Amino acid sequence: MSEFDAIVVGGGPAGSSAAMRLASAGHNVLLVEKADPPGSKNVSGGVLWGNDLEAVIPDWQKTAPVERYVKAKGVGFLTKESNIGLEFRSGLFDKNRAGHMVLRAKLDQWLVKKAKDMGAMVATGVTVDRVAFDKGKAIGVEQDGDIITSDCVILAEGANPRVAIDSGLREPLNDKDVAIGVKEVIKLSEKTVNERFNLRDKEGFAGEYVLGFLPDQVEAGGFLYTNKDTISAGVVISMKHLRENDRTYSFDIIEQFLEHPAIAPLVDGGSVEEYSAHMVQEGGIERVPKLYGNGYMIAGDAAGFSFSNGLVLQGMNYAIASGIAAADTFIEAKKGSGVSEESLAGYRKRLLDSYVLKDLYNFRGIDEVTWGRLPHRAMPNALEHIMKGLFIEQGVPKKHLYQLMTEALGESGIRTSEAVLEGYRMLRRM
Amino acid sequence: MKLEDRLALLNYKIDRTYAHITVKPDICETCPDHFCTFSCPAKCYTLIDGKLNFKYEDCVECGTCIVACAHGSVSWTNSKGAHGVKYKYG
Repeated sequence: MSEFDAIVVGGGPAGSSAAMRLASAGHNVLLVEKADPPGSKNVSGGVLWGNDLEAVIPDWQKTAPVERYVKAKGVGFLTKESNIGLEFRSGLFDKNRAGHMVLRAKLDQWLVKKAKDMGAMVATGVTVDRVAFDKGKAIGVEQDGDIITSDCVILAEGANPRVAIDSGLREPLNDKDVAIGVKEVIKLSEKTVNERFNLRDKEGFAGEYVLGFLPDQVEAGGFLYTNKDTISAGVVISMKHLRENDRTYSFDIIEQFLEHPAIAPLVDGGSVEEYSAHMVQEGGIERVPKLYGNGYMIAGDAAGFSFSNGLVLQGMNYAIASGIAAADTFIEAKKGSGVSEESLAGYRKRLLDSYVLKDLYNFRGIDEVTWGRLPHRAMPNALEHIMKGLFIEQGVPKKHLYQLMTEALGESGIRTSEAVLEGYRMLRRM
Repeated sequence: MKLEDRLALLNYKIDRTYAHITVKPDICETCPDHFCTFSCPAKCYTLIDGKLNFKYEDCVECGTCIVACAHGSVSWTNSKGAHGVKYKYG
């Protein structure tokens, strides 16, 4: 007889959602989190997309500690002197609140409390070493030599999944799996945030940028999200390209982003409140591990569930959806034949039926086009050339757009044939 | 803003008895790239007179170094007893 029906490792969005679902269904669940308070080791860029939380907290949009909702989404290509951008600012976001800015230390603590309120037992400040196995079946978790037993273990430990790796359930991470996320939370007043980003009340701006001005091979994206009276600003750096460069410091790139002439005025006068770093899962479907086995399932970042196409970066929604799917799989297994590798196979089926694995399969190979010289160097340079030709009056005869575009390809720094091929691949995969 | 000043903003509960990351000095000594010194966002890895110096106290527990080190020098375990970095915002 196990001490618990299920043990959930990790009190982030995936783990808390799983624990809430299990506890509400009357199961005896233990949620283990290494940080105390929960959330205090968690970082994300800061937009929670989608409405997956509704399944476990129907009124979350009104009650959760969210900062603002996405009213405007921006994408910008930064060169040394320019930002060539596109913005989608729309009333459509008022009717369908597609994304919410969140700060994880607050949100995750709230989610864990919700799980507790729903009946989950919560152990914070407790570090799990590995999953305990007996005759090939997960029988609980091991912590400092003790085993806490359960019928099922749900690993939701985040982007640096030590427990899964140390238990042999996931391969060690490599350059293809992760990018380096570095972030600052910068304090301004609510009024200043509203004025600078053209916002009212709870409206927020979420911007992603291609940092085309970085030296040599270094490739990184930047982000800027408005919170209530702070801004979350940061960079996501390709591990592979930083390694190839081998002379640029990760912690300098965020400063270069914040000092860019198009970004600096937006954060000017703000005080840096916090500096943080976190890995971003980028491996795509090829690097998703075996998601379940006899007595265990892996959810959220720990399973490599995230989505990035350069225009949008998502992870928390996949975490919540997969946490709930794992819980539902367990609930169904308990009602039926019990927990076994066969019954937990339903987890993968649920994910295949949902956007979680559908997106990962549909966007296979996306990393090859989001990281590369076309989006990170050629496009920013070419776009700047076109804009310069169109808008900077030089007192010389004007050129047709077609002519500017042809020239722009020449200015882009990569060969035309390569640009056409890469551009085609990019459009197909995005 | 200098990294040292940015790190000084953070709260840590430093574990004096247990280092959650360890490195193998003999591997670092012959390392051709020292990519850890470029990739670690908290500058836990520095070169002093060409010799790798590692301190875990400033670690923000992102896990970058274990991926960055291609030479098997870095051992990474989760911090224990709620030690380590404590974010206010996250």
